[in-house]
Amino acid sequence: MSDLLRHAWVIARKDLVIELRSRTAFVSTLVFTVLVLIVFNFGRDPTATAVLDLAPGILCVTFTFAAMLALNRAFQLELENQALDGLLLTPISRRSIYLGKLIANLAFVGLVEAVGLPLFVVFFNVPVGHVLPALAGLIALATIGFVAVGTLFSAMVIRTRFAELMLPVLQLPFSIPPLVLAVLATAKLFTGRPLDESLGYLKLLAAYDIVFIGLSTLLFPATVEE
Amino acid sequence: MSEVIPQNAGYMVAAYIVTAIIVLAYAASLYRRTRGR
Amino acid sequence: MTLASRGRAVTLVALLLLVGVYVRALAFTPLERFQGAAQKIFYLHVPAAWSAMLAMALVGLASVLYLLVKDPRYDRFAAASAEVGTAFCVVMLTTGPLWARPVWGTWWAWDARLTLTLFLFFLYIGYLLLRQAVPDPGVRARYSAVLGICGTVLLPFIHLSVYLFRTLHPQPIVLKPSAPSLPGVMLVTLLYSFGVFTLLYIGFVMQRYAVGEEGSHV
Repeated sequence: MSDLLRHAWVIARKDLVIELRSRTAFVSTLVFTVLVLIVFNFGRDPTATAVLDLAPGILCVTFTFAAMLALNRAFQLELENQALDGLLLTPISRRSIYLGKLIANLAFVGLVEAVGLPLFVVFFNVPVGHVLPALAGLIALATIGFVAVGTLFSAMVIRTRFAELMLPVLQLPFSIPPLVLAVLATAKLFTGRPLDESLGYLKLLAAYDIVFIGLSTLLFPATVEE
Repeated sequence: MSEVIPQNAGYMVAAYIVTAIIVLAYAASLYRRTRGR
Repeated sequence: MTLASRGRAVTLVALLLLVGVYVRALAFTPLERFQGAAQKIFYLHVPAAWSAMLAMALVGLASVLYLLVKDPRYDRFAAASAEVGTAFCVVMLTTGPLWARPVWGTWWAWDARLTLTLFLFFLYIGYLLLRQAVPDPGVRARYSAVLGICGTVLLPFIHLSVYLFRTLHPQPIVLKPSAPSLPGVMLVTLLYSFGVFTLLYIGFVMQRYAVGEEGSHV
């Protein structure tokens, strides 16, 4: 078990080091996130709809797009460096590879979200201070579910034609449950509802995460074996 | 509650026709593809 | 007789029986009082839904079996079931709104059932697209199996999410229950239709499986 985690961490660190060296991908994803937020702002009539009605949707959809972009970048990186083939030759278990990639993707997306959330608060003037821990936990749970499936699929689409198109097409149905649950819970948090009203959604998110991380870990070897 | 039955047979006809088209089209496609097997 | 010709025979019988369903539903089953003639769409919509769901469940099962034993016949079956399921899904997606419009007053509603239908359709399309996009048969089989399993596990989550979403935004229109307690005549028509659609599924899958035999593009 400790081998599994240790190897996963080695792989995650390798991916993240590559990221930090160039930083282009991170900055681009961040810029994209900001642009989406801006577009959402101009996409609404400020006199007609209260920000608080749209805010949960705006936040969650923006983060979904950012995460998609991040997953695409992870897959592009693979393609360029063919690092995956090299990894497969090592004695490291397939499950460690999946977990390592998952951790790296989560770290990347998490960082983008950590910068994106304050920007969201500033742009839309949504008070989140009092619910920040719950909100952060909620975003984390939803992101984990989304990225878990995305990491699995991005390994798959490498060997398909039209890979950049296939990833979103395959991925999006799987992003709906985390997205819906996140929007529902976020709406409760933003409107100041007591925490236990969101608890049900959070539990479901956690269930989704556990099921799909487990399933993806199980299935990942099938996507890379020869 | 008035006992007037809603007059919406048009939708029923449309649905029955559309279903027939889809089923028959698919059956025809399979028939063509399995010819000679 | 080859599989293909037996499949054709089964399909032909099912199609003839389907004519019987049409006749029975349209001419010999009474009108439902509150929904009118449109209610009869139910005799096609619900069995089609059953076939579409059955097809997906079998895709999931075949996918698991393929990954366990790597027998390419399971993969070929999954491909066949997926294509046939898609056809029934299209029937479901077209008859659904045609039923919803007169009965609920709207072509579409984001309720649990209709939304699940839509997602089932996207899963099928994704599955078929994936198969088209992978040239190598072994890789294709593995990838399809992964998607098939993930998709089947996803469906209950979709249903649950949509259900939760709906209860927070209640419809102004009262939803008519689809089948509270069907009078005998209607029940018989429905069951008959179920049988016919199942037979149709079997005939279609037999033929589609036979098409896959030469393996060029399953």
